[in-house]
Amino acid sequence: MTDATTFPSEAWFTSLADVMKQERGAYESLGSTDCTMVVQLDEAEGADLFELVFESYGVESIRCLKSIDEAAPDHFVVKASRAVWQEMIDNIISNGHPDLEHTLNFLTFPDDPMVVEGPDQLQIDAFFRYNQSLQLFFNGAAKVAAA
Amino acid sequence: MTKYSATVEDGIDGMREMAKGNFNLRWMDSNPEGWGQEVTPSQDGLRLENIEKGHYAKVPEFGSRHGSMAPRGCYVPDETPGLDQYTLNEMSEVWSENAAALYDEAVVRQWNSVTDIPWHKLEKLPDDIEKSVCQMCTGLTEVEFVAGDMPAQWLHRINHDFHEVKLFLATQIMDEARHMDVFRKRALANGGGLLSASPANQDLLGAILTAGDYTTASALMHIFGEGFVLTLFRQGEFLAPTEVEKTIFRMCMQDEARHVAYGVKHLQYLLERHPEREEEIHKVLDLGEQAIFALTIEPQTSEPRAILAGGGMDNIELGLARMAFIYQKQVKEYISRLKVAGLDRLPRITIPLEIPDLGLAA
Repeated sequence: MTDATTFPSEAWFTSLADVMKQERGAYESLGSTDCTMVVQLDEAEGADLFELVFESYGVESIRCLKSIDEAAPDHFVVKASRAVWQEMIDNIISNGHPDLEHTLNFLTFPDDPMVVEGPDQLQIDAFFRYNQSLQLFFNGAAKVAAA
Repeated sequence: MTKYSATVEDGIDGMREMAKGNFNLRWMDSNPEGWGQEVTPSQDGLRLENIEKGHYAKVPEFGSRHGSMAPRGCYVPDETPGLDQYTLNEMSEVWSENAAALYDEAVVRQWNSVTDIPWHKLEKLPDDIEKSVCQMCTGLTEVEFVAGDMPAQWLHRINHDFHEVKLFLATQIMDEARHMDVFRKRALANGGGLLSASPANQDLLGAILTAGDYTTASALMHIFGEGFVLTLFRQGEFLAPTEVEKTIFRMCMQDEARHVAYGVKHLQYLLERHPEREEEIHKVLDLGEQAIFALTIEPQTSEPRAILAGGGMDNIELGLARMAFIYQKQVKEYISRLKVAGLDRLPRITIPLEIPDLGLAA
């Protein structure tokens, strides 16, 4: 299934982008977001990659990538196993937001179970620069699930 | 007999002329090159980069010789006096290609410690945890405003033609004011208070404030100091016992990452044009590395974080072992940022890349 409520899929990320559009006011109070994030879900047989280009207060484009080489040159990658991603999303859905141990920073800071990578450190730093907005973006999972 | 000074008398004469309909109006056609500017706002509003086009985008390699506060791109009458204030007149001494974008980003990402932190969610914490949070906040209250004091002492030295940099640095001062205030508030807001200052902090803070020129001060502060603090903010969010601290550290993290981004791109811009200054940057980083190492192992800095990482005083050793990776991460990111800036620091680094095995069980 790849409907709008099933993680991960382009449709699911598009639903999150729709939530972002509907809740523009909340994003405006945080400030604009200009970065490219690649979400990588690792599995034994390979990885699923989704590129999300954030611009201003919305998502400019969402693409499923065959390989990381297809990503825009300026990007960072947030990678984890599919199970870890799913646990984070489920936690957000059940609480309406992540609990203290399921925020993006909490999961990525020790480089385990999630890790942030990129072509250079400045790109990786963009993940920190826009962290609150990216967290809010994923928090939209609760709204998508409830829809 | 003249009643007023010559200046006032001249002014009154001028007003009499205007009253007769004799206006000057030369200012209306004073800047034909700069007139008729076409501007298209970005989808999220009017950014600096939207207006700094054509005539106004010409940033001179050397700032105005007149040395006044006349805005870049306007007509400057010959009689405009200089202020004799600017010593940073070469673009490469301060410039960063992302300064304008970072300024706009900073002004739309401002927040405040009065209403943006969910203070009502503060909760009573065990004594060892509250003391650790308060000590961590004491240290951060102590260091944060150096990143306000440092740009403040250089701002009036920067030629007015480089306004993008001046504007960005002004936002940084405000950011740091907010950081100082939010950590002080957290220390005092939950039944605890400020704990111990850090003597080891002073070496690093002093080195930043007494650096001989802006670029070395910037390398030491924006890349080195703020880079290390950025990781501490991430760690703070990771260790935060409540939503209150989580929010504080996430907000501060965003601000700090902007400052680091300016510093990296500034150093890159400078070294591309003045590679001969590489050695001088290495030397100031030598100083910084020694100071940060002393700071890292100081009890006021390391122990509260170890208690939080272990989940309490009973597990402080476990917490210390868990925190060893923080230092490794800080050093790795520091070297990586310098690499982006064009400085290969790895062969020159004066501190260990990781904390030696202390025999602690993680």
